[in-house]
Amino acid sequence: MRPSGNGRQRRRGSLRGSPVFRLRVGLLLIAMVFSLFAARLVQLQGVDPDSYAQMAADEGTVDVVLPATRGDILDRNGEPLADSVDGLMVVADPKMTAEQAPEIARFLSKKLDIDYFDTLQRLRVPDSRFQYLARQVPATLAKKAVQEAEERGFEGLSTRRDPVREYPARDVAANIVGFLGTPRKNGAARALAGLEDTFNSFLAGRDGRARYRVGAGNRIPLGDATVTEAVDGEDLTTTLDRDLQWYAQRVLRQTVLGARADSGHAVIMDSRTGELLTVADYPTYDASNPYEYDDDLYKAAALTNVYEPGSVEKVLTLSSLIDAGKVTNRTRFEVPGVLVKDRPIHDYWEHGPIRLTLAGILAKSSNIGTVLAGDHFRRGQLRSYLTAFGLGKRTGIGIGGESKGRLPKGDQWTPQTEDRIDFGQGLAVNAVQMAAAVNTIANGGVRIDPSIIKGSASMDDGTEVGTDHVRRHRVISEEAARQTTAMMERVIDPEAGVAPGAAVPGYRVAGKTGTAQRVGSACGCYDGTFTVSFAGFAPADDPRFTIYVVVHNPRNGGGGGSVAGPAFSKLMGYTLRRYGVPPTGTRPSRIPVEW
Amino acid sequence: MSSTAPQRFSRLPRIAEAAVARARLTVVPRRRTRAPRVPFVTLVSVILLGGVVGLLLFNTSMQQASFAATALEEQATDLSAREQTLQIELERLRDPQRVAEAAKRQGLVIPAAPAFLDLDTGRITGEVQPATRESDTPIATPPPTRPAELDPEPIHRTARQPNHARGGVADRGDRQQTPTLGEQREHTRDDRRRR
Repeated sequence: MRPSGNGRQRRRGSLRGSPVFRLRVGLLLIAMVFSLFAARLVQLQGVDPDSYAQMAADEGTVDVVLPATRGDILDRNGEPLADSVDGLMVVADPKMTAEQAPEIARFLSKKLDIDYFDTLQRLRVPDSRFQYLARQVPATLAKKAVQEAEERGFEGLSTRRDPVREYPARDVAANIVGFLGTPRKNGAARALAGLEDTFNSFLAGRDGRARYRVGAGNRIPLGDATVTEAVDGEDLTTTLDRDLQWYAQRVLRQTVLGARADSGHAVIMDSRTGELLTVADYPTYDASNPYEYDDDLYKAAALTNVYEPGSVEKVLTLSSLIDAGKVTNRTRFEVPGVLVKDRPIHDYWEHGPIRLTLAGILAKSSNIGTVLAGDHFRRGQLRSYLTAFGLGKRTGIGIGGESKGRLPKGDQWTPQTEDRIDFGQGLAVNAVQMAAAVNTIANGGVRIDPSIIKGSASMDDGTEVGTDHVRRHRVISEEAARQTTAMMERVIDPEAGVAPGAAVPGYRVAGKTGTAQRVGSACGCYDGTFTVSFAGFAPADDPRFTIYVVVHNPRNGGGGGSVAGPAFSKLMGYTLRRYGVPPTGTRPSRIPVEW
Repeated sequence: MSSTAPQRFSRLPRIAEAAVARARLTVVPRRRTRAPRVPFVTLVSVILLGGVVGLLLFNTSMQQASFAATALEEQATDLSAREQTLQIELERLRDPQRVAEAAKRQGLVIPAAPAFLDLDTGRITGEVQPATRESDTPIATPPPTRPAELDPEPIHRTARQPNHARGGVADRGDRQQTPTLGEQREHTRDDRRRR
C-alpha cells in the first residue's frame, strides 16, 4: 500500500510542477488566445470592415425596386391607344424542377396555356438556375398558377415582374403609336416604334426603390427603412380620334384593295387648329401582335414615305399666283392642245386649243394651263411660296424617321424644273406635309403647324412638341385663299370639274384631285405607275376639316377623282357627322371655268 | 438640577443667551417618521412592470400591425392586378372593330351622308339619303392573300376530243336515269324546303 501511495503522490507532484511555473504557462496560454482574438479583431476591423458590416446589414434586409408605371397613350377623348398592366413572368430553377419536370410541365401548360414540350425542355436544362417559362402573364393568373403548383408540392417556380403593354384597339393608329417589344430581363421596356419610341423617357417615368428589414417575411417595424418613391410616367395625350382613325383605316383599306393598289395614306386635320385627327396608313400592322407582320410596316408611312404629289400641288401654285397679284381666279387663258417647252407637256385628256379661266384650269386639272399661268412667277418666287407652305422641311410632329421630302434648290431649280413643279412633279412630299399645305387655304391663308400631341410633351431628344408649341404664319392673303377655295369648289362640280365622286351631299366641298407619275424604286425613273390623291376641305365657306387621301399604284386605271374622291367623300361625311357640323346652307361657287 | 441651572446662569448673561437657551430647549423627542415603504416599492414595481409589459404590448401590436400591413399590401396588389385585368377586358370589349362588328350583326350600317334634325324646329338640314348596305363600308379584315408562288396563273389547254366519249356519255346518262336512294331523299327534302 505505502509504496504505491508514495508513487502516486510523487507522480501528482511532478505533473503539477511548481505553482509559479503553472501560472506562467497559464499566462502564456491566455496571452496566445488573446493574441489570436486580437489578430481576428484586426482582420475584421482593419482589413475591409465595410464588407462585413454590409453582410451583417444584408442579412434580413430587403431591397426592392418600386416599378414606375408607364404612362398611357390616349386619344383626344381619353380613350386608350396603349396602356400598361402589371404582368409577371414565370421562371423556373431547373436544378429543382428537373426531377418533377413532366408533372410541372403538364400542370403549367394547362394553367398558363404554354407549350408542353417546350416547357418540359426548359425545366430540364442542365447547369442552369434560371429559365423563362412564360412571359408577360397577367399578374393574377401567374400568381395563382405558382401558388397552386406549390400546394401540389412542385418546387423551383417563381414569378418576377414583367410589365405588359396593351394595345386594346390593335391596328388602330398602330402606325403612330408604335409598340413595345418583349421587356428586357430586368423588366425595362424595349420601345421599338412610333410614339412609344420617340417619347420613351417621357412615358417611362423613374423606378423607385425601397430598403427595409424583414423578419419571417414581415417588415420589422421601426427597423431601418429607406424609400425612394417611384415617379410614374406621364400620359401622352394625342390629338387622334380613335373611332375616326378606325373608320379612316377601314375606308382606306377598302379603297386600296378596291383599286388593287399597293398602299395608301389618309390624313384628317382640324382646319382651325392643325390637330391631326387621323393619320391612317395601309398596309399597317397590329400593335398587339406585331411579330406576325413584316417589320417594314413598323412606321408611320404618311410621314416617312415621300412621293410626288401631282396635281394637288396646283392648288399651291395657283393660290401663290393669286397672292402675288399676277392673276385672279377669273383670268382667262388660251390653252393649246400641247405645250412645247424643253419637252412637250400634255394634259391628261386630248383637246385642241381651249379657252379656260384660272378656275377652269384647276377644275379640269390642266397641266398646260398651270404652266402658262406659272410663267408669271418671278424666278425663285414659287420656291419661297412652297417653302412657306411647309414643303421641303419636316413637320416635326413627334414621329421618328420622318422624311422631309424634296424641294429642289439652287442650281437644281431650273425653269424646266419649275414648269414641272407647277403641276406637282419633280418635288416630293409626305402626306402630312401636303395636308398641312392644303389646310393653309382652308384656314384663310395662314399655315398652322400640324400636331399630333395634345398640350406639350418632350421627346427623348429634348424637343418639346404638341399643340402648345404650334406656330402660325400667313402664307397667302385671305383674299387669295378665298379665291382659291372658290376654284376648288368647281373641282367637285359634276359638269365643270373632274371629281364629282368627292362630293358630300348637302355640303359645300372644296378639293383637288391629283394623279402623279411615280418614281419606281427599281430604276429611279417614272415607271409608268401612278399615285392618285384627293385633298379637300369642308364646309367650303367655313372650313372645319381638311382631308387628304393618297393611293399608290392603283391597278384599276382609276385617277384621283375616281379612286381617292369617294374615299374622301366617305371620310368627310363621317367626320362632319361625328363632330356635328351642319351644312352651311349657302350656294356653292358658280365661278366660270370657260370663256 | 434642571430647575437650578437657569438661575445660576442668569446672572451671567452671554451672547445670544436666548438663542442658546432656545437651542437647548429644542431637543425634540425623537420622532419616527416612518414613510411606508410598500407603496413606493409597489409604485416603482408597477411602473417598471407596466413599462416592460407596455413595451411588450406595444411591440406586439406593432408586429401585429406589420403582419396586417403585409397581408393588406398583398391583398392590395392582388386587387389592383385584378382591376387592371378587368380594365383590359373592358377595353378589349370597347375595341372599335369589335363594336362595329357587333353593330353590323344587328343590321346597322354607316350612313352615306350626314343629316341633322333640329329638335326645336323639327327642321332637317342636310340631304337625307337612305342608308343601305350598298352605301356601307366593309369593315371585316380581308383574308390573307396567298403568296404568288402558291397561287399560280391557271394554265389553259385546249382539250382534245376524247375517243371514248360515247361511253362516258352513256355512263352519265345511266346515273341520271337511276338516282340512288340518298339522292332521291335529298331531292324531296329540297323540294319541300322550296315550297
